Amino acid sequence: MMMKLYITLIMLLVIVGCTPKDSAEPEALFETPANFPEPLYDLSKNPITKEGVELGKALFNDPILSRNLTISCAECHSQPSGFTHHGHDVSHGIDNRKGTRNSLPIQNMAWESEFFWDGGVGDLDFVSIAPIENPVEMDENTGNVLEKLRKTQKYPPMFKKAFGKEEITSATFLKALSQFMLTLVSGNSRYDRYVRHEGETLTGDERAGLTIFRQKCASCHTGELFTDRSYRNNGLTIQGAMDEGRHRITANETDRYKFRVPSLRNVAVTGPYMHDGRFYTLETVLDHYAEGVQATPNLDPLLNTNKQRGIALTATEKRQIVAFLKTLTDTSFLTDPRFATP
Amino acid sequence: MKTIINSFLALCFAGALLLACNTDTVEPIGANDRSTVTLEFDNRVGAQKMALGTTTYKNNSGEEFTLTTFNYFISNVALKKADGSVVRFPEQYFLIKQSDPTTWESELKDVPAADYTEISFIIGVDSTRSVSDISARTGVLDPTSYGSDAMYWSWNSGYIFVKMEGTSPVVPLNSAGKRAFEMHIGGYGGRTAVAPNNIRTVTLPLNSTATVRKGIAPTVHLVADFLKVFNGTTTIKLAETNSVHNPALAGPIANNYMKMFVVDHVHND
Repeated sequence: MMMKLYITLIMLLVIVGCTPKDSAEPEALFETPANFPEPLYDLSKNPITKEGVELGKALFNDPILSRNLTISCAECHSQPSGFTHHGHDVSHGIDNRKGTRNSLPIQNMAWESEFFWDGGVGDLDFVSIAPIENPVEMDENTGNVLEKLRKTQKYPPMFKKAFGKEEITSATFLKALSQFMLTLVSGNSRYDRYVRHEGETLTGDERAGLTIFRQKCASCHTGELFTDRSYRNNGLTIQGAMDEGRHRITANETDRYKFRVPSLRNVAVTGPYMHDGRFYTLETVLDHYAEGVQATPNLDPLLNTNKQRGIALTATEKRQIVAFLKTLTDTSFLTDPRFATP
Repeated sequence: MKTIINSFLALCFAGALLLACNTDTVEPIGANDRSTVTLEFDNRVGAQKMALGTTTYKNNSGEEFTLTTFNYFISNVALKKADGSVVRFPEQYFLIKQSDPTTWESELKDVPAADYTEISFIIGVDSTRSVSDISARTGVLDPTSYGSDAMYWSWNSGYIFVKMEGTSPVVPLNSAGKRAFEMHIGGYGGRTAVAPNNIRTVTLPLNSTATVRKGIAPTVHLVADFLKVFNGTTTIKLAETNSVHNPALAGPIANNYMKMFVVDHVHND
C-alpha cells in the first residue's frame, strides 16, 4: 500500500511537470523492493535512464533482431506469462524450429548472477546474444542486427538519446536491452505485501503452505528471490533430449543433469515447468517431488535424505503449497503498461 | 665515451645492473623512445604455404585434408629484454585469420626501445578479458564483429580461441552431405565454477635480438606449422576427432597447437 502510494506520488510529480533532466527526484525506473537483497548487477556500469529503457523496450519487442524479421524477444517472453512462453514446453522459434529448453521468465534480472538453465552466461549484458544467434530461436548474427538497426530511421536517434551517440555498438545495443530487462522487477505480489506488512492477509491454506514451503522447499528456493542460484539434479527422469544441463558448461562429472534452481516468483503463470517444460501444472511438480524423484547420477542429497528419495508431502500439504505459490503472482507486474508490448 | 653514455642511459631506463652495449652501429636507446614490433604470422602446413580451400595436405597419420578456415587469437604478448626484464602488452589483442591477409602482420604498438631476445604470448583470450564488461570488448574482441565466421560462443559465453575447419575423405559424411571437420577450441577456465581451461602460453627465443629503437621497428617472423595440430604432443586423427565444440575435449589439441609456432627470423629495420 505504502509502495503504491509512493509510486503514485512519484508519478504525480513527473506529471506535474518536472522534466526528467531538471527533476531532483529520480524517476522510479528501477527500485529494490524493501524485502529484496541488494542487486547483483552492477548498475554503475550501466546507469538506467528513461531513454535507455525506452530503447531497450523497443528492441525487446522488435523482430528485427531475428534473421527474417519474424521473432522478437517478446514472442517467447510475454508479459502476462511472467515473460515466458505460456503453455509451451519448449518454444517454437524462427521457421517454427523447436528448442530443447523451456523459456525462462525475465524478471528480477538484477538479482541473477548467471543465466539460462545451465548458467552458460554470467553477465546480463551478454545474455541477449544467445537467443539472437541460436539457430532455433532468432538465428541471426548479432553484428548483422546492428547493421540492420543502423539502416533504420528509428533507431540511431534513439541510441543518441540513450547513450549520447547515434553510433550503434555492441555495448550500447546490449546495455539498452539490459536496461529494459532490469526494470522488470516483480516484488509486489500478495506474498510481498504480506511479508512487508502492507495490510495484505493470506488465507489459512496460504499461510500453512508458506510454513510447509519454508520447511521443505526453501533450502533450494531460498530467500525472497526463491532461489539459492545453485545447480541441482532434482531427480527428473532422463528423457527426450537427454539434456545434461550444467555439465555442458563445466564438463565436471558432478554437474551432469544439474540445472539452475529457478525463482518461483509468478510461478503460477510461468508454466509449464522444469528445464524442458515437462510438467504442465504445479500439482504435477509437487507430485514429482513427493513420489517421482529418480535416483539418477548426481541426484541432489537434499532429495535423498535418510535413504528416502523425494520430499514427504501429504495431499493437504501439496494443496497448501500450491495455494501459497499462487500468492507469488504479481498482478501489477504482469499488467504494468510500462512493460507491455506496444 | 659514447659506450659509457649508452650504458648509463640504458641503466637508468631499465634499472638493470648489467647491460653490455655490444654494438656501436645500432642507434642509442632514449629513455622514452618507443616503436612498434610487427608480429608476422606465416601459416604453413609442413613445408608448404597454407592455402585455404584447394590444396590437399597430409598429416602424419597419412590422412588427407583441406583447410577452409584457420583463425586464432594472440594476446598478452610479452617481450623479454636481454637483461631478463619483461615488457608486457596486455591491452593488445590480435585475431589472425588465414582468409584475411591484412591480419597476418600484427603490429605490437608502444614497445619501449630495448634489445629483446624472447617473445611469449597466449593463444586465445585471457580469462580476465573473457569475463570483462561488454564495453571492454572492442576491436577483435567485439562478439558482434565476426560476421558469419564466429569466434564467440553465445551459449557458453566465451571466445573460440582457435578455429580450424576443413574437409577430409576420412571424416564421415555429415547431414549436409560433406566430409567436413570442425575443431573449435575455447574454454577460459570458467567464471565462477572451474571449467576446462585451454588457454596456452607459448614462449619462444627470438634466436637473435630484436633491437627496438625510435627509428627501428623490427619484424618478428613467426611460422606456424598446422601439422603440429595433429602431432604436437599426442597424435590426433581426423578419422576419430573431427567435430570439437566442447572445451572439455579440446585440451590435447591445444597442447598440440601450442607447439606449432617457431620464430623463423627477426628483421631489424
